[in-house]
Amino acid sequence: MDYVRAASLEEALAAALRPGAAFVAGGTNLVPDILFGRKKPVLAVDISRLRELRFIEERGGRLRIGALATVTDLLESDRVREAAPPLHESAVEFAGPLVRNRATVGGNLLDASPAADLAPPLLAQDGEAELLSAEGPRTLPLASFFLGYRKTTIRPGELLTAVSLRSLGPNDRSAYQKLQLRRAMAISVVSVAAALWMEGGRCAEAGIGMGAVAPVPYRSGAAEAELRGRVVGEAEAEAAAAAARREARAIDDVRASARYRERMCEVLVRRLLRRTLGLPSPARAH
Amino acid sequence: MSRYEVTFRVNGEERRASVRGEATLLRTLRELGHLDVKTSCEAGDCGACAVLLDGEAVNACLVLAAQADGCEIVTVRGIGTEGNLHPIQRQIVEKGGVQCGFCTPGIVVAAKALLDRNPAPSPEEIRRGLAGNLCRCTGYQKLFEAIAAAAQEMRG
Repeated sequence: MDYVRAASLEEALAAALRPGAAFVAGGTNLVPDILFGRKKPVLAVDISRLRELRFIEERGGRLRIGALATVTDLLESDRVREAAPPLHESAVEFAGPLVRNRATVGGNLLDASPAADLAPPLLAQDGEAELLSAEGPRTLPLASFFLGYRKTTIRPGELLTAVSLRSLGPNDRSAYQKLQLRRAMAISVVSVAAALWMEGGRCAEAGIGMGAVAPVPYRSGAAEAELRGRVVGEAEAEAAAAAARREARAIDDVRASARYRERMCEVLVRRLLRRTLGLPSPARAH
Repeated sequence: MSRYEVTFRVNGEERRASVRGEATLLRTLRELGHLDVKTSCEAGDCGACAVLLDGEAVNACLVLAAQADGCEIVTVRGIGTEGNLHPIQRQIVEKGGVQCGFCTPGIVVAAKALLDRNPAPSPEEIRRGLAGNLCRCTGYQKLFEAIAAAAQEMRG
């Protein structure tokens, strides 16, 4: 494998035109993929020193996060904690400190695992991907970024430069939960992020991000439709939870069965919505 | 096969290597004789190869050697040596935190990074700080106690 360190965005894009080129930043996915023969790039284009891609900033009611922001950057950012609490929570639960120091936001999304930890929180907050290629920039919703199992819409030679999300204010509601088989360093069994933008007691806009229950992380449009524009109470939370379960397309794997995962979609959506709304925990079903 | 000349400092001493593009920092450090950096999973799961890279704890198996060009690397031997143990190392010895010893170098590096960031960690913060380091002897409890004691000692 050849290696080139890009000193600028222009250099990175030019180098990536070579067939078989792959961008590398934190390397937490790509480096072991190469070592174990799962990926065989001809050229690694090292973008890890492009400082201009490592930032967290507010712009026009949205939080923009550079693709090279690390998970540690997310974890330590007051802006993320305030404007995107589910994303902060997902950073807390993400792997361990040694991996968080290297893993980047862009890398987590481009790896396009159904269980990508950062995807549900970003999807729930109307996440957008900012892409750049020799032909110029384009922006698209994260909801249409993931095409299939480990497949994204990114084109050869195209670089994910940043993601942005719609900020939550102090009166808005949100919650996040990741089910995992141990409390750290674990791949998600099911993860759900919920964001509700409130206007006078009504839910003006809703985002429900789902992880590890379909070939891709996705927004539960069916659950969101039960919330959007409504005064959300017990009945709405229940309807959204049931809708989320119907929409899931989970699989059986070493971590859990499809049946369990689909049931947990309902349980987690209900639990997160009740938590955000200050409703008491429901009695356990028998 | 292209090779790349890299130069970095390890525990304060300059090291040069001619590496292939896919060479990891872990394998390169060991080829240079830094056998205190341990090879285990080579997938970022176990933390045995932890080093400080420009002051941040990372798994050396997840970094390409070429990416470390110009960087400052500290291994467990850069934190303290047999004749001059760091409080983290001394407390691990005193509290019996070493069983087979294979995870210990990575644990010391992760603990050093934790205490650099947070000089007074709670027990939960110590556990979370070591979440990326596996001890297959499962000797965690004494390690946690040793790190808490070292933190207290270092605060004075």
